[in-house]
Amino acid sequence: MFQIHCPHCGATREEEEFSYAGEAYIARPAKPEEATEAEWGDYLFMRKNTRGWFWEQWQHTAGCRKVFAVKRNTVSYEIAGTWTLAEGKELYLKESEA
Amino acid sequence: MANFQPYLQSPLVNFNLPAQTVPADASQKVRANELPLLGYIVLRGELADAAVAQAITKATGLAVPAASRFSSGEAGVLIWQSPDECLLVTARAAVPALLAACADAFAGLFAQAVDNSGGLTTVYLSGVEHVTLLRHLGVYDFESVEAGDAVSTVLGKAGALVCRVDGDGVFLVIRRSFADYLWLLITKAAIPYRFAVAKLPSAGKSPFLRLVDAGSPAKRPVAA
Ligand SMILES: [Zn+2]
Repeated sequence: MFQIHCPHCGATREEEEFSYAGEAYIARPAKPEEATEAEWGDYLFMRKNTRGWFWEQWQHTAGCRKVFAVKRNTVSYEIAGTWTLAEGKELYLKESEA
Repeated sequence: MANFQPYLQSPLVNFNLPAQTVPADASQKVRANELPLLGYIVLRGELADAAVAQAITKATGLAVPAASRFSSGEAGVLIWQSPDECLLVTARAAVPALLAACADAFAGLFAQAVDNSGGLTTVYLSGVEHVTLLRHLGVYDFESVEAGDAVSTVLGKAGALVCRVDGDGVFLVIRRSFADYLWLLITKAAIPYRFAVAKLPSAGKSPFLRLVDAGSPAKRPVAA
């Protein structure tokens, strides 16, 4: 049990109000018609399953019903921050470049 | 089909609340009753967009509320749900005119008004221990709900909007499909607090209670 700050409601609420929505920022193949089966398989099924800091999506199902980005440590459950998907993506991309 | 006579029924009709209703008194530490068959209109549109906000105000006469708050006025109660959604609670009889006014005001905008009157109902929960009861039902910090707040959270396993007008009680806007479950949950959890299905207080200036008096009888035939 932990608390999550919803960037849309601007409020910190109990985990019970949220649903987990998987790894964040998985890019769909840019040219779907030309993607190989291996690329589709990677897009659909392969996940990072990180031990440590992980970018994931949560949905505020009992509140505003919006999906947003959360950077959470999968070992300690510590949350580094929560952002709207658009705001989080910039940070995510910066981190993945580094 | 000529004999088909559609009619409105509260989702709590099987509890027969009107027959159970007793006068409110101080010994009842938790009281509840339904505000049956109100009108509910979902307003979608980017609230941060000044044109959308102005259109909502033009159609309803109500100010667009801040996050997790509600505004109220002649037309009823406008509840914030998300950055692009509000819920307008109004008198059932006022729904068609408000829908038409919204359609007019939203012309040319990426916004929409949808009648969801069949999907929701409202329960008034009051009595000196009503906050204690909410704490039995959900994880939200209910002591912190102040007048004008509209908190969307979980009670038991069902979602609910908790709106506070004053210190006497809260209005729970709940889904029709979960109304039965939530009513049973409330009444069972409230047994230690001398629970009663109490007569609703006189409407006065209460933006919710006024809507009941403004034409939401328990069973009103719908014109074919
Ligand atoms: Zn939210």
